[in-house]
Amino acid sequence: MAGDVHNKGVSWEVQQNGTLAPVDRLRNDRSESPTPGLVEGTEPGAGQESAMFVHAQSFEDLTADNEVPTETEPKGDSVLGESVEEEALCLAAEEKIQEDLHRSKEEDVCTEAWRSHRKHVFVLSEAGKPIYTRYGTEEALSSTMGVMMALVSVVEADKNIIRSIHADGYKVVFLRKTPLVLVGVSRTCQSDLELTRELQYIYYQIVSLLTLTQLNHIFQHKQNYDLRRLLAGSEHLTDNLLQMLDRDPGLLLSAVTCLPLASSTRDLVSSSLQAAKAKNLVFSILLAGDRLVTLVRKKDQYLHHMDLHLLFNLVGSSSSFREGEGWTPICLPKFNTAGFFHAHISYLEPASDLCLILVSTDREDFFNLSECKHRFLERLSRRSAYQALKEALKCPSYSVTQVGIPELRHFLYKSKSSGLYTSPELSLPYQSEEEQERLMGLYQYLHSRLHHPKRPLRSVYRCGETENLMAWVTSGFELYLCFSPLGTKALAVAAVNKLLRWIRKEEDRLFILSPLTY
Amino acid sequence: MTMRVDAKVVMLGKESVGKTSLVERYVHHRFLVGPYQNTIGAAFVAKPIQVADKVVTLGIWDTAGSERYEAMSRIYYRGARAAIVCYDLTDTSSFQRAKFWVNELQNCEEHCKIYLCGTKLDLIESDRGLRQVDYHDVQDFADEIGATHFETSSKTGSKVDELFEKVAEDYNSISFQFMTEETGIDLGQKKDSYFYTCCHS
Ligand SMILES: Nc1nc2c(ncn2[C@@H]2O[C@H](COP(=O)(O)OP(=O)(O)OP(=O)(O)O)[C@@H](O)[C@H]2O)c(=O)[nH]1
Ligand SMILES: [Mg+2]
Repeated sequence: MAGDVHNKGVSWEVQQNGTLAPVDRLRNDRSESPTPGLVEGTEPGAGQESAMFVHAQSFEDLTADNEVPTETEPKGDSVLGESVEEEALCLAAEEKIQEDLHRSKEEDVCTEAWRSHRKHVFVLSEAGKPIYTRYGTEEALSSTMGVMMALVSVVEADKNIIRSIHADGYKVVFLRKTPLVLVGVSRTCQSDLELTRELQYIYYQIVSLLTLTQLNHIFQHKQNYDLRRLLAGSEHLTDNLLQMLDRDPGLLLSAVTCLPLASSTRDLVSSSLQAAKAKNLVFSILLAGDRLVTLVRKKDQYLHHMDLHLLFNLVGSSSSFREGEGWTPICLPKFNTAGFFHAHISYLEPASDLCLILVSTDREDFFNLSECKHRFLERLSRRSAYQALKEALKCPSYSVTQVGIPELRHFLYKSKSSGLYTSPELSLPYQSEEEQERLMGLYQYLHSRLHHPKRPLRSVYRCGETENLMAWVTSGFELYLCFSPLGTKALAVAAVNKLLRWIRKEEDRLFILSPLTY
Repeated sequence: MTMRVDAKVVMLGKESVGKTSLVERYVHHRFLVGPYQNTIGAAFVAKPIQVADKVVTLGIWDTAGSERYEAMSRIYYRGARAAIVCYDLTDTSSFQRAKFWVNELQNCEEHCKIYLCGTKLDLIESDRGLRQVDYHDVQDFADEIGATHFETSSKTGSKVDELFEKVAEDYNSISFQFMTEETGIDLGQKKDSYFYTCCHS
């Protein structure tokens, strides 16, 4: 079927190797911008030595344990091309509804307001027992969840698997992960695959608290177990994760963003962390709010970005670690779903944004890790790197105007080999929460186009009423740009090269180029 | 240069009874209002306290009440010199849970002194009808198990300092009798099998 956005909607010819502009033009730019990242490992932001994260074709890997959906696309979605895209864009524009007004758990599930939430997420056990709902209480929804489970089992009785239902502007997506069933009900324009990916995050969030081994164990012994008993107090972690999925481009890109920092300072921080090692220490992670300052890992051990996002979520959604030093078991499901790591979590200073996470394999390691933290801090302050770091915290982001492309409003650039991305702060008109989520919706849409399981695209260009969008993926990077609606395609194409040069110039500040191990 | 800890103190009790608030009040002299933030895993804080003519540093483990961490709790109370077992004066079920912890401690930590602490006294003071746990019942229970009994409010600060001072004093006087035994924290013990450590291969 047609559905070829590629030919219909894109103005320039994308060549087979993913080169955007005429090749000779790139050659001219070489001195300034040595091969702008068309090959993985040479793109701006690529680390000098080994990568920090599990090496993966990010998105594909992330969904690897989930087979590609079969070709059963419903009507609405199979008419690809202009119509759907325009619809998607304006749909997203309208989606401002009442979100946040009704976040409360006490919400009555029979009301229109409850129904009108953009995205519902339900988790239930295979016996149909409610475990989590994003809105309202699980009790009030037990019959709804029963129906969901019935649906899943009826379809499965026929050796089929139910993946999604599309009806009346809603998408219902199912993810069965024994012993849990996750259901997403969405009115957004996200694809089934994207929604499934979000459900996987929720699944892993639950696994990170309990381990899969323990989950299986529980349900093998008692099918009817009410898992909320064990998850009590963790609902806000899941709530917060869902909000991150709506707002944080890192989860979409399967990448992490860094605090902009002079590379000399970052290297000092990294080497101080490297020096503060302990026998069972596997990962040392320094965060500044929701940004990575540095990550030092045990040789040959890689962290998966998804596990890192779960750690970000744990730290970000709880003030618990502000009091003293936290010590908690945590399963990093992408590393190993069977066991717990033990994380020492503390802020460098009481009111600071700098949070240190030390991950050990030994549950008795608390005082060893506490000692590591002290050694790290001592070393850091001796070299005055601490002062420089605190100084850098004052401007944790940068303005898009620094790039010097007038029509460019915002962008996301991910270096594939490092698993890191960079993005300017959100400026007008994207500062309100609604607008922020709308922009994210647009990026999600572009992302789903580039990563379509059946018809992936190398690039997308789309004019809209409120902004023009462009996305481009090569083997080295992924780039998403948002321009004012006044821009032209020609300008956008020129902008890409300029932006890549700028990122190359700034890369040692925006990325972690020399990750360390111990 | 970690602070040297003399006595390990563990806070135990059902979730939301007010363990974190007690520690907050005692260590930082404040009461945080706003949405309740349950503790994740446990939080450790070292607090030096003057007892007679010397300084005793309490290493306080504020554990999470959630059942999810129950299997972990042993590492927090193992080797503890004092356990502050908290229950909410306005919630009977929290007292049942307190009894569970007392039982656990009696079985596993015979050298650990037990302090029963009824929390949120300010709520009772503003409305007597809210009390669900009788003072004398708890006192009888405390006598039976050889525990000390307090009723506190982290909101007003009532009896909070007294509670921790008593813990430190008791430690100080008892520690004479235990001179030969190890002080501080014993880290060298083996893991329980319930929680799995990670193999990294
Ligand atoms: N009025 C009143 N409220 C209190 C008092 N102590 C705690 N609270 C409230 O009770 C709730 C729970 O307090 P926390 O101290 O977080 O409870 P916790 O025992 O640490 O809970 P977990 O960490 O989940 O085990 C919070 O909303 C507190 O504000 C008190 O003395 N008086
Ligand atoms: Mg607490």
